[in-house]
Amino acid sequence: IFHTTVSDRRFVAVLLMVLQWTRLGLPSPLRPICDPRVLDRFIKEARDTEFAMVRVCSEGCSLAEPLSVPLTSVDFAIWEKGDVSEQAQEVQSGLWLLAQAISAVRVSITSTALHSLLDNSHSNIHSIGQVIRSLNFPEYTPPADGTVHEDTWRVSSTLELFRVHTNFLRGKVRLLLSHAPACRRDST
Amino acid sequence: MMNVAATEMLCWNAASLLVAVEPEDPKCFAEGMRDLTCFWEEEGSRSPDDYAFTYMYQETNEESSKCALTAQSVGGSKTRYICRLPSVQHFVPLDVSVFQDGRLIYNRNLLIDHVFLLDPPANVTVTQTGEQEQLRVCWLPPALMDMENSMMYEVEYAPTGSHMGKRESVRARSEIILHSLQPDTRYNIRVRAKPDGLSYSGYWTAWAPWVSMTTPPAEMDLLILALCVVISLILILLSLTLLLSYRRFLLKKVWPVIPSPENKFDGLFSVYGGNFHEWLGVGNRGFWWSPTFLLVEESPSPLEVLSEAGFTAPVPVHPMPFKALGLSKKEVEEDERTGGQDSVLMGRRKGKAHPHWVLEQLQSLDQPSVPCCELHTLEPSDTYVSLNYRSQQDSGAMSPLADISEESLPLQVLFESPGTPTSFSDLESVTYSSGSGEISSQSSLEYPYGAWPLKGPSYISMTVTDSGISTDYSHMSWGTTGLGDLAMAYTNEYKNKVPAPRLPPHGHTVYSYY
Repeated sequence: IFHTTVSDRRFVAVLLMVLQWTRLGLPSPLRPICDPRVLDRFIKEARDTEFAMVRVCSEGCSLAEPLSVPLTSVDFAIWEKGDVSEQAQEVQSGLWLLAQAISAVRVSITSTALHSLLDNSHSNIHSIGQVIRSLNFPEYTPPADGTVHEDTWRVSSTLELFRVHTNFLRGKVRLLLSHAPACRRDST
Repeated sequence: MMNVAATEMLCWNAASLLVAVEPEDPKCFAEGMRDLTCFWEEEGSRSPDDYAFTYMYQETNEESSKCALTAQSVGGSKTRYICRLPSVQHFVPLDVSVFQDGRLIYNRNLLIDHVFLLDPPANVTVTQTGEQEQLRVCWLPPALMDMENSMMYEVEYAPTGSHMGKRESVRARSEIILHSLQPDTRYNIRVRAKPDGLSYSGYWTAWAPWVSMTTPPAEMDLLILALCVVISLILILLSLTLLLSYRRFLLKKVWPVIPSPENKFDGLFSVYGGNFHEWLGVGNRGFWWSPTFLLVEESPSPLEVLSEAGFTAPVPVHPMPFKALGLSKKEVEEDERTGGQDSVLMGRRKGKAHPHWVLEQLQSLDQPSVPCCELHTLEPSDTYVSLNYRSQQDSGAMSPLADISEESLPLQVLFESPGTPTSFSDLESVTYSSGSGEISSQSSLEYPYGAWPLKGPSYISMTVTDSGISTDYSHMSWGTTGLGDLAMAYTNEYKNKVPAPRLPPHGHTVYSYY
């Protein structure tokens, strides 16, 4: 006399799904990547790309069109009080902008050596996005119209672009990852 | 924000550090995450109002700002102008300009996160680790947010009183274990820090104050000591064993026995007390001679002398000096018979007669017929001696160094074909080859009975030690004492050969014939 109705079964199914989804103590599908050495490697490669660009672009390698890049400046007094999720959004939108800019630059550059560097930078940005997603930050959806509501800066040379790229990784991205709540919770 | 006065105090040390390291003006450094201090030094003591310090963050939408300057007098004549920014932004280039009376004197572009000059590491402690030659050094990393994982440190250590300090680098860890230190030594240690350069960069901090600690004394490992003792004991035992087992050998090497001729001269020392003449007299029947080793060692054995008439009774042979025999008669006969053979020896036998008894013997045995098949009846120990004719030219020199040439061959007897008269000496037996005109001689020692090969002219030679007879050296010689016992005969076949070369002296008389 243990029969269930259809509605009961549906309810159990939904309940199970909800429980599965919200239960605590279980690792998320993506394990949080908290090792600082991961980002340190990306930062190092970005720096190497910037130095290579300096060697190649003696005149600065001006761009045909200015490109939008994120702001890299960090005021610690303000940053420490800031909201983590907002910072995550800021970082992710900045990464998206940089990816766009690098793709645009790659088209105009002819040197194959630089092509490999640019491709490497682009894939690194993609990997950093995955790291951020692993830390349970809300995902960033790029704006449909291509413009971001955060403040941006426009660069007019490749050299400037990669300097911004390096500073962005060193600054905001690194601060975000090193103070990520997902990492802090695991350590405590 | 730190107390201005306190900051100024720090400034003095920082300034002196930076002045040495940073070439650009104005010199700027950040002591924390939220400040930046810039300064420059000028001669004179002008008011800071004469100067204008402007800065602007690039790649931002901000405008340039001005910074309030303060002045400090330095070292009497100089003035230091200091600017402290109220708030700073990292990871953006900062453009700094200094104007004096409206005129730009300095301009610099820098990243604030690249000019860190922090406090030296605090709370440096040195402890013993419990192991030999080691010390552990610990310190506190800078208490700046986000800086703990971005620091590198340098540790300098030296024994007290020594000026040869060693440095070790550490990254991201705030302790280090120093290895390979001298035991029981007092070491001075100090530490300094610097951002590692990846995310943040800056200048080396000032050295932390010296900290001292003594390394533990060297202790003799008991196990090693015990092993050494055991090994040395084993080595001692081994050497003793070797010594004992080879003590006689070693004694001989170290304290050699003085050789004594006692064993060579039987009874010389024991019976005759070293009197050589007396000892000689016993074994010598009146004939003086100088015995050689071989002579002394071997006892006399009978030497059979064969004659053509058949066996003669064995004639005891005494070591007697041979005198040169002159057998002129024989020579002639043999010359005729041998003809073309190498009869050099024969040709020389022109010597005159010598001891009569020998000659008499020879002559008595001069028979026309030659017995045959008698050789095989000879005893194995008998030796066959061929008599050589010694040339009379060879004066009476009895030295063994006489010419070996054919002419100097002493008694020689030709072995003749049957039917020819032969001559013998009573000291030697002569072998005949039967049935052939050849001359052959063989030693009974060499050939078994009945195996006398018929050969061409060959010769046999026997050496007899003799002081009174000149020796004749053929190319082959017997080593024999003349007593016939252990004579070793060598037969050689010569066919028209030239005379043998001179042989080294053996002290023997060599008799050979062809």
